Amino acid sequence: MPPKAAKGEYIETDTGNKISRRSQIHGTQHIILGGKTVIQAEAVIRGDLYRLPSTAASTDPNNPPPPSNTPSVAITVGRYTYISKSAILRPPSRLHRGVHSYYPLKIGDHVFVGESAVIEAASLGNHVHVGAGATVGSMAIIKDFAVVLDGAAVPPGMVVPSWCIVGGRPARIVGEVGEGYGVEGADGGMARERYRVVGKPAGF
Amino acid sequence: MSRPFPYTYISCPCADTPVPDPARKRRSRGTPQKSPNPEQPNVDNEDKKPQEEENEDEEEEEQTFDPRSPRSNFSLYPPEQLLYCEDCHQIKCPRCITEEIVSWYCPNCLFETPSSMVRSDGNRCGRNCFNCPTCTAPLAVSTIENVTGNGSQQGPWVLSCGYCMWTTLDIGIKFDKPTNIRTQLQKMTDATATPSYDRSRQASRTFGDLKSPLSSYASIDEQSASREGSGEQSATNEDTIPTPDLGTDARFAALKSFYRTQISETSTSPGDPLGSDLGFSSPGALNRLMSLYASSSRLSGLYGGNKKQKSKPPVMREALTSSEGLRIAPDNGDADVIERLGSQECGWDGVASIEQRQDQSPDVRFADDLIPLPCLLRTKRAKRCKSCKHILVKPETKPQSTRFRIRLIALSYIPLPTLRPLALPSSSSMMSAPIPDLNSLPPLRPVHVLLTLKNHMFDPVRITLATPSVTPGRVASKVTVLSPQFDIGANSDVWDEALQNASAPVTGDPKLATLRGVPEAGKVWDKGRNWTTVVLEVVPGTLPGSEAEGGNEVTAKDGTLATQQDEDVLEIPVFVHMEWDAEAQLEQQNVGKASKPDDLVARELAYWMVLGVGRIQASL
Repeated sequence: MPPKAAKGEYIETDTGNKISRRSQIHGTQHIILGGKTVIQAEAVIRGDLYRLPSTAASTDPNNPPPPSNTPSVAITVGRYTYISKSAILRPPSRLHRGVHSYYPLKIGDHVFVGESAVIEAASLGNHVHVGAGATVGSMAIIKDFAVVLDGAAVPPGMVVPSWCIVGGRPARIVGEVGEGYGVEGADGGMARERYRVVGKPAGF
Repeated sequence: MSRPFPYTYISCPCADTPVPDPARKRRSRGTPQKSPNPEQPNVDNEDKKPQEEENEDEEEEEQTFDPRSPRSNFSLYPPEQLLYCEDCHQIKCPRCITEEIVSWYCPNCLFETPSSMVRSDGNRCGRNCFNCPTCTAPLAVSTIENVTGNGSQQGPWVLSCGYCMWTTLDIGIKFDKPTNIRTQLQKMTDATATPSYDRSRQASRTFGDLKSPLSSYASIDEQSASREGSGEQSATNEDTIPTPDLGTDARFAALKSFYRTQISETSTSPGDPLGSDLGFSSPGALNRLMSLYASSSRLSGLYGGNKKQKSKPPVMREALTSSEGLRIAPDNGDADVIERLGSQECGWDGVASIEQRQDQSPDVRFADDLIPLPCLLRTKRAKRCKSCKHILVKPETKPQSTRFRIRLIALSYIPLPTLRPLALPSSSSMMSAPIPDLNSLPPLRPVHVLLTLKNHMFDPVRITLATPSVTPGRVASKVTVLSPQFDIGANSDVWDEALQNASAPVTGDPKLATLRGVPEAGKVWDKGRNWTTVVLEVVPGTLPGSEAEGGNEVTAKDGTLATQQDEDVLEIPVFVHMEWDAEAQLEQQNVGKASKPDDLVARELAYWMVLGVGRIQASL
């Protein structure tokens, strides 16, 4: 259940994103929200951790890349994705050729990120459910329709295949979701409904 | 039952009819398709029962579905896990289907493994995917960091765990190249187990050892080749040099090839089909089995079938040298291991835990002996109905694909139930009351819950709901469905919904809800294109031993009447009966036209579902 929201708690954008005034979003020019995204209070989104173009230049000093005026994207979030309270989205990083650099974090549509979860994945697919308090390690890949149980710790670099449920610390595949997972209105398909009730006065 | 409130579960009827016996299959196959009004075996069971509303009697209690009964645990499933068989016209749960493997894939690299390779790879990924032997997290191939950084990265490579920071350096393994790690590792583990190894055997053995020892040989040629090889080898090496201990895998392979040669040498008839393929690997065992069956059946005794027993079974010898796979226990027993266990530098952390040893070779005792494990493969599986063998689910073969060729899920046929508490304007003020906290429902205070049924079929459906007026179990909550009979419209094009500005079931405007007033008996609460919402009035019962019940306090103290686990969970069994007119399928048109001229066949389906409303508070 979403918490009781005060009047005007959410800013609604033209594309229907509902963003809590109490969320912390850094580096907004590096973040793409797909529309109808919900970002709840105290969520932290680190768009400032984008990939510096200078890292590419340093590897090849003879041919510096043209100065681009389009900022590199750090975080992409899909439609009807729900970022719960106190969740943290942070682009993954890796030490590559002695240089520490950030990579973009892609989040698909209809994704649910639970309360105080920490996401450092390279990508979350569509209809992914990340439980409350879960941690998704750096460069992990969560495929479509996967479920990360509450409190799980997905180790860095892990790949979770579609339809799989992972849980535990470190996370292992503990089961599979049913074939009907993700059907609109059933488990895994509640994203539209979750979006609708956000920002509504109490009682709903 | 770990879902948050409110939840809905649907009961698969297979729990009442546990054995899918062939007679039943024939019946369910034969009658329902031909008859215009298809009867289902589960439904006619239900039909015999009296109406649920009447059953106040004790004797009828077993007819009502009891969500608390231990059996119901096996039949209740979340709606999205259920399938539907169009031939049996029945809900199918994971227990009434059979599975067959469509493809194997590695969960880490998501590459498909061809089925011919699965056995030879030992059901594990043959590429670079490994799991950490200490914590099971996936291992990453990384280079040992050069100080220069920008130089060419031709360093030695290691597998490292990003979770527990274990690396193969801990067990002293480095790799020369970052590809084909599994083959490299296999060579290394063999080599480390046999440090002084003569070249000829290594060369002859590598071929067989690249494959898992658990795999059987892919072809007869291979098998005979390896048998001959090992035969020669044992002949030449025997008694010449004291061969060192082989590694576990190598020893298994040696023993296996040894016994193969023994079987081929000692088997009486060359064309004996049992000798080679069926796994009766010892002629002695085979003879014992044969004589067992021969003597147990009286008929064979009568007809002199036991004459064969007199022929003496050929004698098969056991492995004698270590090249044949024999290993002799060390002279001092486990003293070395015990000493190491007790030593200062080993300690608790140096000993491999039971979980870690489970996947390793049986000799592994210490943390340094743990080797990385290739990822176990996963499968994509097609699902068939157990009784009529029709395919219900068939995923696409590609591991990355999430699509299905066939997917007959129950949600496309039965209405999707969703439950939601209703906040009614309280009588004293016009302010809408807060939603009742489902995790602590006050006893004896009526709550209203909204049950929405959403139809995914393209035919309108007539629904009849029935509940026992008092929930089964010791905590008796009163339940009333305010409008037990209603219709749900047909599901139409998705675009209709989009154009109608998505007035989906749960959008209900709070102001509208207050305007709608109080729930009335016999009236549906709300209705949309393909969904209908009805109100259930629930009066939670009192828990045994709670203050609300007063008299039970004394009995509660001796513990007999204390609340059992999850007894305070308010679960309502609801019997759903649905009827609709379906378009007749091709084979039914001839038979079904007698009743309905316009190619419509009346269908019905009935099942139990359980609504988990909430948890009842212990006291008022």
